[in-house]
Amino acid sequence: MDLSSTTGAGAGLGNLDLSKLSDRDKQELQTFVVNESQRARIQASIHSLTDTCFRKCISPGAIKKGALDRNEEPCMRNCVERFMDANFVVLKELEKLRG
Amino acid sequence: MDSLGAQGLSAYSNDPKTQIMRQIQQEANMQNARILVEKLNEHCFERCVPKPGSSLSKGEETCFTACMEKYMTAWNTVSKQYVARIQKESQQAGLGGSTGL
Repeated sequence: MDLSSTTGAGAGLGNLDLSKLSDRDKQELQTFVVNESQRARIQASIHSLTDTCFRKCISPGAIKKGALDRNEEPCMRNCVERFMDANFVVLKELEKLRG
Repeated sequence: MDSLGAQGLSAYSNDPKTQIMRQIQQEANMQNARILVEKLNEHCFERCVPKPGSSLSKGEETCFTACMEKYMTAWNTVSKQYVARIQKESQQAGLGGSTGL
């Protein structure tokens, strides 16, 4: 996970002959990139939600057990659902302001 | 970290298209892992090492191990719940609702 491995990986594509790509390949790549971007966005949301909900749901102090206990697990799930609800409230309000 | 797994791109194929796809996926996975490690460290250090001493104590280390496991379990729980919810929402949007995602 150091810098050299990151840049090294990027340089791996340097000698690729892109003119060999057929139109069909280009189309496929296009779709692939769209899907991967969406996957990345979803993962970013999951990171941010885990961060927020972990703060709210995991009982304070040192952590003794690796599993989520019977309060923490439903709390994490509720936290995700309520965050989304709240998100929709915001969207609806903005919609109203616009209309 | 399993619910959004990469679709298996053949590791041996060498045509440019596959190479590019593999590269993109590797970078994305690396980025994902990097954020996870960063968040994990942030939360668990806060929890397990409230007052840093001259070395990491046995207790702090035990706490760290448990905390890491808990954070990853939490990540997977959130992932499942979140993906289920956006699937539900987009289905509803598809059935004539106006709240698109």
